[in-house]
Amino acid sequence: MIVKDAVCPFCGCLCDDIEVEVEDDRVVAVTNACELGTTKFMGEKRLKGPILRDGDEWKDITCDEAIRYAADMLLSAERPLLYGWSGTHGEAQCVGVHMAELVRGVIDNTSSVCHGPSILAIQEVGHPGCTLGVVKNRADLVIYWGSNPIDAHPRHLSRYTRYAEGFFLENAFRDRKVIVVDVRKTETANIADEFVRIKPGGDYAVLSALRAIVQGKTETIPRTVAGVTREQLIRVANLCKSAKFGAVYFGLGLTMTRGKYKNIRNAIELVSELSRHTKFTISAMRGHYNVYGSNEVNTWMTGYPFGIDFSRGIAFYNPGETTAVDVLARKECDAALIVGSDPAAHFPRRCLEHLADIPVVQLDPYPNATTAFCNVQIPVAVTGIDAEGTAYRMDGVPIRTRKVLSTDYLSDREVLSRMYALMQEAQER
Amino acid sequence: MTFLMITGRTVNQGVTVEDKTSAAYATETSTCFMHEFDMLELGLADHDTVRVTGACGEVVMRASASVEVEMGTVFVPYGPYANHIVAAGTHSTGMPDFKSHEVEIEPTDEEPKRVHELMEDLGGLAYDR
Repeated sequence: MIVKDAVCPFCGCLCDDIEVEVEDDRVVAVTNACELGTTKFMGEKRLKGPILRDGDEWKDITCDEAIRYAADMLLSAERPLLYGWSGTHGEAQCVGVHMAELVRGVIDNTSSVCHGPSILAIQEVGHPGCTLGVVKNRADLVIYWGSNPIDAHPRHLSRYTRYAEGFFLENAFRDRKVIVVDVRKTETANIADEFVRIKPGGDYAVLSALRAIVQGKTETIPRTVAGVTREQLIRVANLCKSAKFGAVYFGLGLTMTRGKYKNIRNAIELVSELSRHTKFTISAMRGHYNVYGSNEVNTWMTGYPFGIDFSRGIAFYNPGETTAVDVLARKECDAALIVGSDPAAHFPRRCLEHLADIPVVQLDPYPNATTAFCNVQIPVAVTGIDAEGTAYRMDGVPIRTRKVLSTDYLSDREVLSRMYALMQEAQER
Repeated sequence: MTFLMITGRTVNQGVTVEDKTSAAYATETSTCFMHEFDMLELGLADHDTVRVTGACGEVVMRASASVEVEMGTVFVPYGPYANHIVAAGTHSTGMPDFKSHEVEIEPTDEEPKRVHELMEDLGGLAYDR
């Protein structure tokens, strides 16, 4: 059987033109997806059933036992952390927020270690963004800043920018200019019309210099700014001003370096400056599949996009205090539920040292680095492969994803709903 | 020698990210991409092992020459090796300094550990070696 127009479950592009060939409930071939998506669809190394750590051994347990363990763990914790959520659907994320409120825990999603700083900047100065389709059809200038789509979002260039057709562009490949700004000369830099190499940590200064040039204050610019020559800065500013429609896509090169959200704020302010001359937009290259959805769901349920602390009985948000890395590094939480992410591979070691000291339950189809810190792991259906639901694309468009095959694994939503039902029952008693 | 360590996504890291117990994931995430002049300075050949020391620990990786990075900068794919030495401070933003970490790099004869060994060093118990 061939499933057409399946949605890829890997990155925030949510490519929706994938063809998946399924035989005997196994994916045997994938067409149109990039290497990342294909490998995800074809992945077969799943955990067979729930496991429990018993001293220095792992034991198989039933799903009911595992769900009961997780519910009891969360109920008896004083300050549980519910982390992850970006690899799962909106429907499961909703249940997560309800659970966090019930146990007065902290709920955070992976955006705190990816585009959390971008959201902080957007909260300060707004987000002049647009959908990917608008960029594809209209943009004659695209800037990738601190982002390497060839490695991280491999089809972004072919579906929306460099290699895409554009409805309002006669010859998109020729008419659309691509500028790459990075500290590394990445593969993406190699296909750019203009590559701007910045010294590490110099993004803020270069953004400020470009803003000054766009404002007509060229004479204030020194000979070089963070390794970029004055001539190149002027050339880039002129390319931006002469474009009919420009789009900036920024990556973690801006959020993870010195300055963090202030870099993004400066980039947004450059875009608003450019919009006095022409049309310009800016958007984040969201990495994790449904990380955008975790921000949306958390925001419409609690008012805040990530790092939400229910310990006061109301939603409280203070990034740097209520975000997962900080809560773990301060050894503050006394239990953790991990869903759809792998903090042990992506958090600093100090956080892992605390994970080793507290009870941890993880919902994940595969054994991963966090498995080593789990008391219980419950394998679930892979969201977007054998579980269906709603995911948000990197430009904020919600997309209903279908499953391409059926398995006996429960989905994240089913497991979490059962856990939540047990917790509600216990609270009522 | 002191370097600035930048971490980030690579295709090979993304392809193996759902198979973290594999040798391929360990190999990719324990690779320290360096400028070849820096390698020359340290007397390193391609794939020699290096000890990378950060603010809160050290980890052994394998050096690999790259035309992408500038002298003085090294690039390591996201994963447990880089995070073994990344400090947890977030400057009140929730985000550690994943792309601006000062590290010391020196040649070593030790081999990089496996992912499960790193996890066990921190108090975990490997499930699937």
